[in-house]
Amino acid sequence: MAIRTIEVRERVMARNDELAAQVRDRLSAHGVTALNLVSSPGAGKTTLLERTLATVGEELDIAVITGDVQTQNDAERLAAHTSRIVSAVVTGGACHLDALQVLTALDAIDLDRTQLLFIENVGNLVCPANWDLGEREKIVLFAVTEGEDKPLKYPAMFKRARHVVMTKTDLLAHVPFDIHVAMTNARRVNPELSFFEVSAVRAWGLPVWFNFLRHVAAAERVRA
Amino acid sequence: MHEMGIALEIARIAHDRLGPAAPQLVTVGVEVGDDAGVEPANLEFCLEAVLATPPFRGAKGLVTRARGDVLQLAYLEVDDGNPDD
Repeated sequence: MAIRTIEVRERVMARNDELAAQVRDRLSAHGVTALNLVSSPGAGKTTLLERTLATVGEELDIAVITGDVQTQNDAERLAAHTSRIVSAVVTGGACHLDALQVLTALDAIDLDRTQLLFIENVGNLVCPANWDLGEREKIVLFAVTEGEDKPLKYPAMFKRARHVVMTKTDLLAHVPFDIHVAMTNARRVNPELSFFEVSAVRAWGLPVWFNFLRHVAAAERVRA
Repeated sequence: MHEMGIALEIARIAHDRLGPAAPQLVTVGVEVGDDAGVEPANLEFCLEAVLATPPFRGAKGLVTRARGDVLQLAYLEVDDGNPDD
């Protein structure tokens, strides 16, 4: 038999990145900022979004795309807090959202009436790091019930994020978790990271988070 | 296991490149960076499964480690079916 070698040299993620660029262009044309929330399962993404929608959902014209492996439970929880669009993507086994799913989900959202778009990714600190969804930035949620060394174990996600939201801070008194050690570990992976410290259940630290969202939304409107 | 999703994308690229020659594919060479977030053994396992389904007729994936977050389909090897010269 004669074996012939064909040079390819094509990035595996090239097609996804092209679709992510389409998402970014579409959002930019409407002055919409997309924030991709990523975390381990159970870090508090949905609870933070519930609080966010209830308080500034109307003010900032927030829409949400949720990604879950199965069920639309998160989307149903969020829809109870807002009349704004909450679009559910059930990945059917896939461990992350991809740009095509987000591009398709945008069809259900009135972008002219949206300033901020949250993408609540599948709970997973590994796979979503590789997939550009057209977001402005990835924001990692890091619960104080996790290990302080999470950033060292999952560096790719922390490298690709700009902000980390330390969640469930009301439990700090009850768990052996040193938040300063955790943040130091995160900065060892990515020195540029900035942090929020919140308890969505107790409403601790949320005004700073909301002001950040106002700033992000205003900055995009200026660009548009 | 997102390696399966990546394997499917690699198969899509290979099919695009090869067209009707896809059944002659015997090897897929993939470069995976240390920071790519991909487990090479898992990816090879997934590639073997994906490349056993039509239009492919069974091909192996060969992963080469690289630096950084590289993740690329480097080369394809096909059996032309011609006798060796």
